[in-house]
Amino acid sequence: MRQLKAILARLRGIVAQDRASAEIAAELESHLQMHIDDNVRAGMTPQEARRAALIQLGGMEQTAQAVRERSTLPWLETLLQDVRYGVRMIARNPMFAAVTILTLAVGIGASTTAFSWINAVLLRPLSGVADPQRLVALESVTPGGEWVPNSYPDYQDFRDQLQLLQSIAVTHPAAFSIGKDDHAERVWGELVSGNFLAVLGVKPQVGRIFSPNEYGDKPGAFPVAVISDRYWRSHYAADPAIVGRTIRVNQHELTVIGVAPPDFHGSVAAVAFDLWVPYMQQPVLNGVGTWMLRDRQDRNMLGIARLKPGVTMDQARQELAALASRMAVADADTNQGMSATLLPLSKSPHGPQGMLGGPLRILMGVCILLLGIVCVNVANLLLARATVREKEFSTRLALGAGRRRLVQQVLMESLLLSAAGAVLGIAATPWLSRLLQALMPPGQLSLTIGSGLDARVLFFTAGICVITTVAAGVVPALQSSRVDMNAKMNEGGRTGVAARGHHRLRSALVASEVALALVALVCAGLLVRSFQKTSRIDPGFDPNHVLLNQFYLATNGYSLDQRVQFCRRLADAMQSTPGVTNVAYSDGVPLGFEPSWWEDLRIEGYAPASGENMKMFRNVISPGYLDLMRIPLVEGRNFTEGDNENRDSTKVMIVNQAFVQRFFAGRDPIGHKVHGWGNWYRIVGVAQDSKYHYLAESQVPYFYVPFRQVYRADMNLAFYVRTHGDPDRLLPSLRAVVRKIDPNVTVFDAVPLKEFIGASLYPQRMAATLLAALGALAVLLAAIGLYSVMAWSVAQRTQEIGIRMALGARPAAVLGMVVRQGLKLAAMGLAAGVLLTLAAGRSIAAVSFTDSAMGNSVSLVGHDAADPWIYVAAVAFLCGIAALAAYVPARRAASIDPMQALRSE
Amino acid sequence: MTDKTDVWQGTLALMVLKTLETMGPQHGYGIARRIEQTSGNVLALNYGTLYPMLLKLEQEGAIASEWGTSDNNRKAKFYKLTRAGRKQLERATQDWQQATAIVARFLSPAEEAR
Repeated sequence: MRQLKAILARLRGIVAQDRASAEIAAELESHLQMHIDDNVRAGMTPQEARRAALIQLGGMEQTAQAVRERSTLPWLETLLQDVRYGVRMIARNPMFAAVTILTLAVGIGASTTAFSWINAVLLRPLSGVADPQRLVALESVTPGGEWVPNSYPDYQDFRDQLQLLQSIAVTHPAAFSIGKDDHAERVWGELVSGNFLAVLGVKPQVGRIFSPNEYGDKPGAFPVAVISDRYWRSHYAADPAIVGRTIRVNQHELTVIGVAPPDFHGSVAAVAFDLWVPYMQQPVLNGVGTWMLRDRQDRNMLGIARLKPGVTMDQARQELAALASRMAVADADTNQGMSATLLPLSKSPHGPQGMLGGPLRILMGVCILLLGIVCVNVANLLLARATVREKEFSTRLALGAGRRRLVQQVLMESLLLSAAGAVLGIAATPWLSRLLQALMPPGQLSLTIGSGLDARVLFFTAGICVITTVAAGVVPALQSSRVDMNAKMNEGGRTGVAARGHHRLRSALVASEVALALVALVCAGLLVRSFQKTSRIDPGFDPNHVLLNQFYLATNGYSLDQRVQFCRRLADAMQSTPGVTNVAYSDGVPLGFEPSWWEDLRIEGYAPASGENMKMFRNVISPGYLDLMRIPLVEGRNFTEGDNENRDSTKVMIVNQAFVQRFFAGRDPIGHKVHGWGNWYRIVGVAQDSKYHYLAESQVPYFYVPFRQVYRADMNLAFYVRTHGDPDRLLPSLRAVVRKIDPNVTVFDAVPLKEFIGASLYPQRMAATLLAALGALAVLLAAIGLYSVMAWSVAQRTQEIGIRMALGARPAAVLGMVVRQGLKLAAMGLAAGVLLTLAAGRSIAAVSFTDSAMGNSVSLVGHDAADPWIYVAAVAFLCGIAALAAYVPARRAASIDPMQALRSE
Repeated sequence: MTDKTDVWQGTLALMVLKTLETMGPQHGYGIARRIEQTSGNVLALNYGTLYPMLLKLEQEGAIASEWGTSDNNRKAKFYKLTRAGRKQLERATQDWQQATAIVARFLSPAEEAR
């Protein structure tokens, strides 16, 4: 406490320094006078008296200095002095400062952007929740080890029997339409277990969250809703009176009971939801049969659990696994072989973190690489400046400046530079972040990142700023204090000779820069190449000239029958529209973002090994689907309108070639029976393999069933129209036809199928695009560094070159000498870079991503990552850059007039 | 000069505070002389070290200063004890007495013999 008071007083002292000085002088003067008076009275002569008094005081100036040091904080004062001096030095060289600060801003801005995304997606996936460290994702595990969502009955068992979890909630993200009839608007929200908001610890800003008597399992109960802050502001002008009013959701009335706080967006990282409704409303809002809420096969709920305080994830995981294995026995018909596990939220395969995690990690790595190059460049610039200032430094040392003080001061200058760079970089971050967002696929869930400048990001940037300062500033600073005073003072301006040491140092820096640039270039090359290769993979169907629209008919209050009717009427109407060649509809869209669904199958004549995963991916399609997609049938027949819901028509299925390979070992499968959805289906055809989830996937067993025989209320509806020309031109007629059938159904987001399936390439496209950009930046920075060193070294050798030419060296020889030197430098860097690159390439090959197709993941770079041509091309390219960077100053050197060169300096 | 003892580390503050307590408001020179006198002129006080100490005590709030006029009509800065200073003096006195008592016990031959 006392110390604190003293420090505050001393801080005040810094401000009022002049006055304090005068006062100290006056006090000491009065002391001296009194002492002299006493001495004179004791019989000394005035001179003697003064001398004695001064001796006992210990010198006027020394004492005043001691008091002054006590009156302020000396170290802070020196610091401020350094800052002032640094600012002055920077202001005196605006060009140097601008180049350095811009370079730093690029590096720091890129790293900060990458980190703010990582922060939003991986580090703190959920905002606005209480105590997020204890929240974990709860996933069911298939016999094959894939992570899948949970069914509601499984959730009930987990909820009622687990002891180590404080509470468990489940959620089902879904589209809703809010509003009346044709004024409806589509909104993304979540159907949640009643305790969901309480488990997450969300505090309502207005009204309340779901109360415990709304936690029940009674289908159709609890017509209430909580809305997001965003929706509340944009639609109700933040009117608190919204609580208690009803809104029309999917043509049903729900009472708004509360508004979520501004920073809460729901349970999926980086995705903003606007509406939360108890899951028991699912049968009402989406027309899903209530039996499906009791169906353990209906696994569509994402689980979030809160660990009890003091319980580790491992303990809770063991308890959960034990319970799940008991359930696998008790409900063997549905759960055989199934298990369940807990994961950190950031590892959950559902949501953007699964898709973006890998690419973001690579992005961060490359940003750090870029930052390294930036540091080297800045160190280079600082070294060049240190050379220019050598005479200044040696003069100051000669005048008695401490070496430590000198180092401190030079470091302060670098710190100021990088701080300025950091400020600029942070200013650019929101903009860069939007750029990253622009690469997101169209028409799907919107990600909400960008305002993510929280304390953690700022702390990260500050850390980077300090690291950059140290990395870029220490060597030049030490160098400047190591000036040999004598040599420097006597040198009389011949800078070229004594700076050898500097030159070696700078060469080493440039070589390392070339090495880093090579790593960046090769990584970019690998990803771009693999992206190209992947996008050239034939998906096995023809997405060109097809318009796709996904309908959310349940949100219009349609019953199942009405939906089927709607499909058929729309198909008929579109078929007769001019320009349309095919029309079809299905449940899932291949290569989309949405999770793919599967069914547990039993196959006649095939005995599965114990624990073998018999959950096969499937699609529910209309008869025209395979034709429209141009997926050829290799055997048997296609579905027809005859394969319908009538009792006398046999249930049928079409399987793909991989399916035949796996279950029939090449035998003819036509006529065999397969069991699913509680019925036996007869295989009538075999379709060619195509791609279903990722372009890069290997052959997946897959099957199709007819829409009219299997369509269920919880299925989606994707509608396809194939045309001769540009699919976008069909949009107006699709809109018109839909309006004619039912004015309340809106076509929200029709997109060409070609664009839509691009989504499956999104992680790769993002990685490739960003890395190409960052790689280009890295090469540019390295080129600038290379050029500046070459130019500088040539300038230093002007006199030497002049002498050589005066002695008869030909310009071509001089040119060759300088370029050779540059290439030698580059070659050293490249040799080191190749080693680094091999290591980096291996770790990139290990990165994969997933979009929730049963948690299957695909690696970002194909197996042929070690494409030697990329290495060769990158090395050649950098050699070229190096030669060019050396050539320009070399030519200037070769054209020097020897006389002028000798006179220079 | 050689027969004089230097001021022991950490005791100057105590001396200054005690002096101010017994003498009331006093200027720096006065405090210095008083300390010398009290020590029976055995202590060699470098007056120069007194002023940083006074400033430190003032910053810590133990003393306060004010310009005034000395006995022989010179302008001087007078220091006086504050309430916090009085408390600090009390505590420091106790500490010091305890410390000297302990040291004394170590050095006393009678104690050692026991």
